[in-house]
Formats: sequence, structure tokens, C-alpha cells
Amino acid sequence: MSILDKPKVSSRSIPNPKKSLITRLHMGTGTVVGIIFAALTYYGLKSIYVTYTDKVADPMTTHNNNIILLGAMFAWSVGFLVGIGAFIGPWRWLIGKDLTDEEILYMAGDGQGKKRYFKYCTDHKVVGLQYLVGVMTLLGVGGMMAMMIRTNLARPGAHFVTPTVYNSLVGLHGITMIIAMIIVATGPFGNYIMPIMIGAYDMAFPRLNALSWWVLFTAIPVLCSAWFLGGIPTGWTAYAPLSIQAGPGMNAFLATIIIFAVSTAVAGMNVTTTVVAMRTKGMKWNRVPIFVIGSTISVALAIPAFPTFMAAMVMTSLDRTFNTGFFDANMGGSGWLYSNLFWIMGHPEVYVILIPGVAILMEMAPVFVRKPLFSYNAAILGFAGIAGLSILVWAHHMYMAGWSPALNGPFMVTTEMISIPTGLLFLVLIGTLWRGKPWMKLPMLSIMAFIWDFLIGGVTGIYLSDVPADSYLHGSMFVTAHFHFTLMGAALTGAIGGLAYWYPKMTGRMLNERAGYISFWLVQIGFNVIFFGMFMVGAEGQPRRVVDYAALYKNSNMVSTVGAYSVGIGMIILLWAVIHSWTKGVVAPMNPWGAKTLEWTVPYPVPLTNFDELPIITSDPYGYGKGK
Amino acid sequence: MADHSAEEMAPTPGERITGFFKRKDVARTTILFVAWTTLFIVLGLVFYPKWMPIVMSKEMKSAESIMIWFTVISAPIAGIVLAVTTNAFLDMHRGDTPPPDGPAIRTNGPIVAIWTIGSLLFALVAIVWGLLEVNSQAVAAGNDAKSAITIEVTGAQWLWTFKYPAQGIETHDLNLPVGVPVVFNVKSADVNHSFWPVQLGVKIDANAQVTTVTRTTPTMIGPIEVKCAELCGLYHAYMETNGAVMSKTDFNAWVVAQGGHTS
Repeated sequence: MSILDKPKVSSRSIPNPKKSLITRLHMGTGTVVGIIFAALTYYGLKSIYVTYTDKVADPMTTHNNNIILLGAMFAWSVGFLVGIGAFIGPWRWLIGKDLTDEEILYMAGDGQGKKRYFKYCTDHKVVGLQYLVGVMTLLGVGGMMAMMIRTNLARPGAHFVTPTVYNSLVGLHGITMIIAMIIVATGPFGNYIMPIMIGAYDMAFPRLNALSWWVLFTAIPVLCSAWFLGGIPTGWTAYAPLSIQAGPGMNAFLATIIIFAVSTAVAGMNVTTTVVAMRTKGMKWNRVPIFVIGSTISVALAIPAFPTFMAAMVMTSLDRTFNTGFFDANMGGSGWLYSNLFWIMGHPEVYVILIPGVAILMEMAPVFVRKPLFSYNAAILGFAGIAGLSILVWAHHMYMAGWSPALNGPFMVTTEMISIPTGLLFLVLIGTLWRGKPWMKLPMLSIMAFIWDFLIGGVTGIYLSDVPADSYLHGSMFVTAHFHFTLMGAALTGAIGGLAYWYPKMTGRMLNERAGYISFWLVQIGFNVIFFGMFMVGAEGQPRRVVDYAALYKNSNMVSTVGAYSVGIGMIILLWAVIHSWTKGVVAPMNPWGAKTLEWTVPYPVPLTNFDELPIITSDPYGYGKGK
Repeated sequence: MADHSAEEMAPTPGERITGFFKRKDVARTTILFVAWTTLFIVLGLVFYPKWMPIVMSKEMKSAESIMIWFTVISAPIAGIVLAVTTNAFLDMHRGDTPPPDGPAIRTNGPIVAIWTIGSLLFALVAIVWGLLEVNSQAVAAGNDAKSAITIEVTGAQWLWTFKYPAQGIETHDLNLPVGVPVVFNVKSADVNHSFWPVQLGVKIDANAQVTTVTRTTPTMIGPIEVKCAELCGLYHAYMETNGAVMSKTDFNAWVVAQGGHTS
């Protein structure tokens, strides 16, 4: 039991362990040590693995170059963690001089103001805000790439970028957004809000919590380095053997995923343990807020799913460095092995993204309709059913791969079964809305937008799950439109609603409402315009990921591009609102929405240990309404 | 006496149903339900026939009818969801204080049961429909095996090559005789590609070292496009070619002009 588990720490004096190394380490020292590690590894490996600049196409030079680059990227990540002090705790424990109580409190950021956001800080609220800024950065970068893609596709002829740049844009937009969407709900809100919601002093493993964020942080420069290494030609799916043939930029992609997989494994384990073990007295499973249930199911689903992605990336790396031939058919390997490993992660992953977004919306629905959540049990069964089925559907991405045509039937059955638990999610939301008077704040608008967006995503998903229709639609823009309707429509809409909802608790101020509404309508209308245009060109027969297209598709593409600019402007307005309101917004009361979950019972700024005395729970948080 | 008056007051089942539909929220939701459902049905019936390419094979027909009819059968479900949502939207509460509490409905057993069984039935329709289509395509493949012409398709970065072994020709345009079943044996010379003769509604990946198969029977004369549907590197977007479904006479003439022989 750590010192943080003891109540009434808010009255202590500020910890100041002067002689301890941890007081001197921060993001800056991390960066310096990371660069030193990377440089040493780079030059060290270069002296062992010979490369010839005049023989860049030579297989040995290519392989050795990949070894050197991958080595330097991993060294950066490890070096950064050393430099920021991630290993001080385990090291001190190893040599028998465990951290003192004062040092532990220092690491929790007690009394350090803004400085703690740049340090290896174990406070879940700090980690939550770090994730929030990280997500917004990734969304900004990914969004800019989306704008460049749409600008290029505004008219036929590829006037804006070259095919090399375009292919990189498509792949890096994809992976940046996938990473952003995976953490968009469970990162900021799962870290900041969830421990308070369940009545805990902190996460189960505060140091691992800091580790998950800073490991993820080290992946961001690695991902960006892809641009300086010639980009990636493969799209985010990184199919082999194209990924093996790809240039040095591919190493950045592989290293990013491997580092990210470590981060999600650590975070997933931490969230799951926290929810299982640290709920406050009286919070039985049937009293846990639905957001907590959804997040837990999502991260628990990621725990078995992501290792196969990591394994696929490790194997691709080995093929590219030591010529192992896992995925190279000419050496007895198989590209289908890669596709299987990828989609065994890939399909659960879309639900890892979707479930927390929907769970946020379900958490907010009762508050803004002032009615209990309709059929809490159906909500849980919906999430659990989706999570369970999602590990059995991966090969619907491979109907047209020719890998095993005989399996198309069985995978069609499991895939279409998913519409049953998905239907329950809709039932819960419309049941909650029924006979209520919804309070039209941003969170409520997000719920309604989600219902529309996800319905379109869901119906189009039914065709795609059906083999004969997929044989036409697979690999077309129709698929792109479908999954944006599900992922952006559910996860991003849910997260933006959640941001408006929890912003007062996370920053102490209300999010600027007028800007929020303007942004909401620009984003939602623009979003629907983009992807209706894309449904059209997909139905007409335009493949995905093409830098150029025939004149036939030009009007619908222009429609999509106009929509994209609307979303872009809307997101900039939202960003402005978030930044502006953070310091200049109206000061928020403790419970501006009149909600009944525990996070609204603590003041802002939330004390280090959240509660002086842990609350005791006697009912679920949905006791709204009159009668019955 | 009291009992007697209570009996008189109790509505009959018929009155209860009409009473239910006279409630303002129910009446409005019902109208909205009809409107949304109609909209989705119209969308399904109009959108896909308008936007999809001309149907030139049975496989393309089956893809198009799935998209149309799945939209139509999911229309009532979409209709309910959107009707309830729109109804709530029309009852919105604005201002800075929360709305008054609504009724404390925690669940409704029959509704949850009906909804679950309804979506199960819906999923079953989709599954059975899909399995029947898959099966009929497999049966057709067996029946047509003897009369089919075979084409060896090779995808290479960034060019399609079509070899007609029985005719002894090799081309980069895909020409097919109408009404004759065709089997495509597809492979790749390098990375993954995906062979997509658009108007024929079939597709299969091209992989190195293994042959994948797809088949179709063109049912209509006209031009077709062949595209690559799997990102295959630099010039993926330009990996496309043209072809045509032609009458048997025209096809034979074309084969001869290419230096091949007709059987």
C-alpha cells in the first residue's frame, strides 16, 4: 500500500526531497538522453553493419540500413524514459533503497504547479491532461493530412501532391488517427475522470500510468520521422510484401506500432486492475457507471488484440532487417499470414475505439434527459457481446483475399451477428431519450449526432459484411466512407461530447458554448457531406487510396472536399474554444450539469488523492426521474 | 357499487390501443417513423441503381440487390431509432438549468425482448440471404466449369496482363465474350494487388506464388474497366485498364486479330 492510499494528505507540507535525482529530471533531460542513446546506437550499429551510399538498392545495404534505423528509434524511446526518470523507482527497489514517502509524493506532482505536466508524474489527473493534449496534437496532425488528401482529390489530375507523398499521406493520416482514436476516450477521460468516478485515490499502478503516457509520447517523434525518411507507401494496414519492399520510412511506422503496443498493454492492464480492485465501498458491479464499464471492456479487449499487431510488426521488421522471410512468398512465407495477424488485431481494435465513445454518450444521456439509463443490463450486454464477437470476425476484411473462400460463409455469419449487440446500444440510447425533454447542450447534441452517424455506418456495414456485396465494394471508397461513419461518428463524436461534459471538471471552467455549437454544426454537417460524397464515388467504383481518378468521379469528390474544409474549420474553432476557455472561460460550479456520478462531488482543483474520505455507494448513479 | 363503476371505466383492449396512439408523443413518433422509414426505402431504391455502374453480370446484380434490399429491410429499424430521436429533439429543453425530471423508466422487459428478437431475425435474414447467394455462386461455378474460358491474370507493379491459354494470346486489355462463363486465375509478380473488373462485380487479390480464383458470366455487351483495389505502391491509382464484353463473333475476330486461334 503506497502513501497515496492514506487519506488526508491534503493538509501535509509540500514535499521537497532536495537530494533526490527525481527533482532534476523532466521532459528536457529525457529528450537529451534519448537523443544521446539514439546517436550512440546509430553510430555504433553503423560501424558493425556496413552500408554503401552508392549501393542503396543493394539488399545488404537496405537490410543493414533498416537495422541501424530501427535500433536508433528504439534507443531513443528507451533513452527518453531513462532520462525522464521512468526507471528510478524499479532501480531503487532493486538496490534495496526504495523511494521515500516524500519522493513518492514529489513524483505525484504534489505542489509543483504546471511543472508537473512535463515530468514523470504519477497523478492520474496529470496523466489525463497529458493524454488530452497528446490526443489533440495527433488529431491536429492527422486532420491536416486529411485536408491535404482532400485538397489533392478536389479535382482529377493529382495537381497538389505527387503519388509518393499522397501514399504517405494516406498511410500516416490513417495510423495517426487510429492511434488518436484508440486513446481519445480512455486516455484523457479514462485517466482523469474514471478513478474519481469509481471512488479511488488514484490508479492501481500510478507509475505504470505515467509510463504508458511517456512511452506513447516517445512514439510521436518516431512516427513523424517517417516523413523525413521518405514516407510510407503501404497505407496504415502495412500489408506485406509491400511493407518489405518499402523504403526507410517504413521503419518509423514499425517502431511506432511496437512502442505504442507497449503503451496500450501497460495502460490496459492498469485500467482493468483499477476498476476490478479499487472501486469504493458499495460500488458493486451493477452500480458501476456505464462509462467505466465501457472503458474497461475496451481496454480489456485491447490486451489480447494488440500483441498480434506487435508480433506482425516485429516479424515485418525481421523480414526487413535479417531477411527472415515470414511474409515473403518467394522464401516460403505468406502475405496472408500478415493479413491474418493484422486483422486479428484490426477488428477488435475498431471496437476498442468505438465502445468507450458510445459509453461516454450513455453516461451523459441520463444527465441531460433527467431519466435513468434505459436498460443498464442491455448496455452491458451490448458492449460485452460486441467485444466477444469482435474476436471472431477478423477475416471479413479478407473475403476478397482468396485466402480461404470456404471461410467466407462462417465469417459472414459471425459478422452479421454483431448487429444484435449493436442494436442493443441503439435501444439503450433511444430508450433513455423516450418521453424525456433533452437538455440541448453540446453533450446532448453529440448523442443525437452519434445516433444518426452510427446508424448510417451500421447499415452500410451490413452490406459490406455480406460477401456478394463486398465483392463489389471491397477496397473502394465506399469502405472508407463506412468506417469513417462508424469510427469518427462514434468515437470522435463521443469524445467531443465527453470533452464538453467533463471540461469543467478538468479545467475548472466551462467550455465556450457558442463556439462549441458553431464547431459542432460545421463538423457534423461537413462530416456527413464528405462521406456521402465518398459513398457515391465508392458505389460508382472509385478505389480507395488513389492519388488520381477518372473524370466520372469529379463532382462527388468535389463535394467531399468542400465537406472536409467545413470539418477543418469546425475543428479549428473547437481547438480555439478549448484553449481560450481554459484560461478565460466562465468559472464552473462543482456540478454544472447536476449529475450524480462521483467526479462531480469533488472540487476543482481536484485534490491530490481526490477524496479525503472515500465515499460509500448505495445505488447506481442513474436515479433520475419521478414516479414508479 | 364501486366495483361496478370501475368495470365501466376500464377501457377495452381496442380503446387502449387507440388511446395509446392518441398520446401526443406516440402519435408524433408514429408519423416520424413512417417518414424516416419511407425516406430510407426511397434512398435504397434510388441511390444504388443511380450511382452504381451498369450491371453487366449476375454477380454485379447480386451485389446491387443486396445493397438495395438490405437498405429496405433495415429501413423500419432505422425508422424507429430516428423517429424516437427526432421526437426527443422536438421536445428539447433549452436554457442554463436542467429540465424537469422525466419518468423513471429503468427498463421495459417486453420492449427489450422484442428489440433483441427483432434484431436477431434481421441478422438471420441477412445471413441466410448472403449464404444462399454465396452458395448459388459456388453451384454456378461447378456447373459452368466445362464451358468456361480461362484467363490467367497477372498483376505486376503497375500493369495487368491477361493470358488466354486456350486462345494462345496475351494482352493488356480484358475482352470477354458475352454469355460465356469466365474463370480468372489470378496471381502477382510482386506485391499484393486486387483484380477488379468493375462492371462485373467480382474481385480477388493477386498474391505472389499462389493462384487465387474468381469467376463470373458477363450478361451484357459493353465496355468494362479493370482496376486495382489493393494499395500496391507508387502508381496504384494508375494500375487500370479497359476492356469490353463483346458478342462471340466480335470476340473471335479480336482473338484472331491478336494472333490467336478460336476453338
